[in-house]
Amino acid sequence: MRHTLGIILCAGCAFAQSGIEVPAIGTIVDSSGALRSVQGVAGSFWWGPPGVSGALSAACSERLCLVKTDAKILSPTGETNAPPGPAIFGVTADDAIVFFPMTHTFARWHDDALDPLDWAVDGEVLSVQRRDGEIEIAVRQDGHVWIVHPDGSMVDSLADATGPVTLLPDGVLFATADEIVVRHPDATEARFELAGAGSIDAMGPHYAAVHIGGAIYVLRTENGRESLFLLPGTTP
Amino acid sequence: MTRAILLAFLLPLAMQAQIALFTVANGAETPVGAVLNLGKVAAGDTASVRIRVRNIGATTANINYFFVDGVGYSLDRPTLPFPIAPGSVQDTLLSFTQSTVAPLYPANLRIDSDINSISAIVIAAVVVGPVLTVFPACTGSLNPPSVDFGLVQAGQLRLCNFSLQNPGTQDMTISTFKVTGAAFQISMGPSAPFTIPAGSAIAFVVNFTPGAAAVYTGSLAIETRTYGLRGTAFNTPLPTPLLEFDSGSVQSSQQRRLTMRLPTAATSSASGSVNLAFVPDTTIVTDDPAVVFLATGTRSLPFSITQGSTLISIGGQTSAMFQTGTTSGRIRFTLTGVPIAGDPTTILTIPPSALSIDSAIATQRTGDLDIQVTGFDNTYSAGAMTFTFSDIAGQAIPPGAIRADFTQDFRTFFTQAKGGSAFQVRVSFPVTGDTSGIGSVDVQLTNSAGVKSQHLIFQ
Repeated sequence: MRHTLGIILCAGCAFAQSGIEVPAIGTIVDSSGALRSVQGVAGSFWWGPPGVSGALSAACSERLCLVKTDAKILSPTGETNAPPGPAIFGVTADDAIVFFPMTHTFARWHDDALDPLDWAVDGEVLSVQRRDGEIEIAVRQDGHVWIVHPDGSMVDSLADATGPVTLLPDGVLFATADEIVVRHPDATEARFELAGAGSIDAMGPHYAAVHIGGAIYVLRTENGRESLFLLPGTTP
Repeated sequence: MTRAILLAFLLPLAMQAQIALFTVANGAETPVGAVLNLGKVAAGDTASVRIRVRNIGATTANINYFFVDGVGYSLDRPTLPFPIAPGSVQDTLLSFTQSTVAPLYPANLRIDSDINSISAIVIAAVVVGPVLTVFPACTGSLNPPSVDFGLVQAGQLRLCNFSLQNPGTQDMTISTFKVTGAAFQISMGPSAPFTIPAGSAIAFVVNFTPGAAAVYTGSLAIETRTYGLRGTAFNTPLPTPLLEFDSGSVQSSQQRRLTMRLPTAATSSASGSVNLAFVPDTTIVTDDPAVVFLATGTRSLPFSITQGSTLISIGGQTSAMFQTGTTSGRIRFTLTGVPIAGDPTTILTIPPSALSIDSAIATQRTGDLDIQVTGFDNTYSAGAMTFTFSDIAGQAIPPGAIRADFTQDFRTFFTQAKGGSAFQVRVSFPVTGDTSGIGSVDVQLTNSAGVKSQHLIFQ
């Protein structure tokens, strides 16, 4: 069996340790509008140095981070003009679906270019995400949150979502009146008592930031490892 | 003859006078005559007198010259020219300082307006000053000259012992020797004026007897030097606060909750600071900056207690969250700023632990197998690793366990990262041949506290 694999693992000198780095759980736009990385591991965080200033929105996947300033979308490789105001990103490995609330328009970002999308979605768009090749949009209509496709076909609903909603690559994160809920595709949930969430932003693949007043809570969203922390220097 | 000429010179000016000069002390004006004597000034001290320019005429006086001309003198006044409206005044500060002892330092003080001019001779003598020594438990400071009586329980007495020395070769007469301030009194010592023989010293005592909890200030004036007096009175010391933590074993990488309470109700309101400090077990780093109170990201928070309550508010909240960081050691909590009957210092011990893996992933690339581990090593001794690759059937692939030692790399990283022991390490294994049959890898990470194993499926 070993030989049929045809593998030669080079023992001893063959391996290469390609680096030790300070871990980061994701990025966040701080109160001054600077993009900041949050470094550390679960339960022990500290702020990285400020990066891009004038950021209104930001989102990261494992391989791509996009930042919205007032008139541009910045990426590690360049920038592109964009409608004014903040943006809601659904970032995948190398592209993103972007919603611009001020113009209520969608676009696809790829290779530092924006392609307009003629999707017409009624209501307040809360989040957008690509899952299994399909685009899903969380939208609030008449006080009720629906998850729909761009053509309006319904995927799901979040009956008790009264606050912000963020679609994750593998689940959904939303706020009720007094809880934050992580719901996974297998319908399992983790709930945390936390009232008054103002916004929820995906920080990276496994963490989201919950803003409540001046406090920023960090929620680990991995299935089975959900936990809630407070970011240092943010007063509850 | 000289006096007659002087009078003849001054008389016309006085007759046309529109501006007049006064010294001001305790709100009282005294006209400045031909000579203004600042008296004796201790070497190195500064003597100041407030000079008031008053417009006693009916029209605005424009001041275009106002100087004091003499070694050691200075005048703090508005930029020239400046107007003074009829009936108005302009206060200035005339100061003198010199470090060389001499019997006479003269200067000419002159002010010109568009109507009249006034001049006066200013004189001062620089003498060897007395040297004041403050004995514990009071503490002295030279800049500014001050004496701190410290913390005293209200209604209690604190005595402060002083020595006043004449370092000169001539006897020294002390004309000004007094204490002001409601809670301060000279309880033992000479009354002014008195003489200190050359090379000798006298002793005196100042009492501080505060009646209620407050900060008290006063002054001790000795010749040209005035020392600020300060003392703080508090009510009965607080009973030793109890510092308590939420339940569960304390470990690294936790966010824990601190609450504080009193065993008995506070007899008075009080406030202070709760502080934390961290002492790591390792000598590789001197601190773990991630050990902070979460509310501020700092190591100190204000606390307050209301009279009659046992609850202690921390930063306005009923409790305070803090991070334990990623380093084994001791977190030391202390309270400052308030008198406490006992020692409330509380130490939280973060024990050494086997390496903690926060996340790990194994991936394949063409020609490489990559393993990435994120975690922390609170002992700062990580480096020894073992990797055992298996095929998709779970059989180990030759050569079996591959051992590596990255201890020096980790040590270098820890000393440079300055963020605790959190790390993300990537290890790549070059391979040849078809890698699709490689199913998993067992990773063992060793530190001084144990071995951590992780089974990873290749993605």
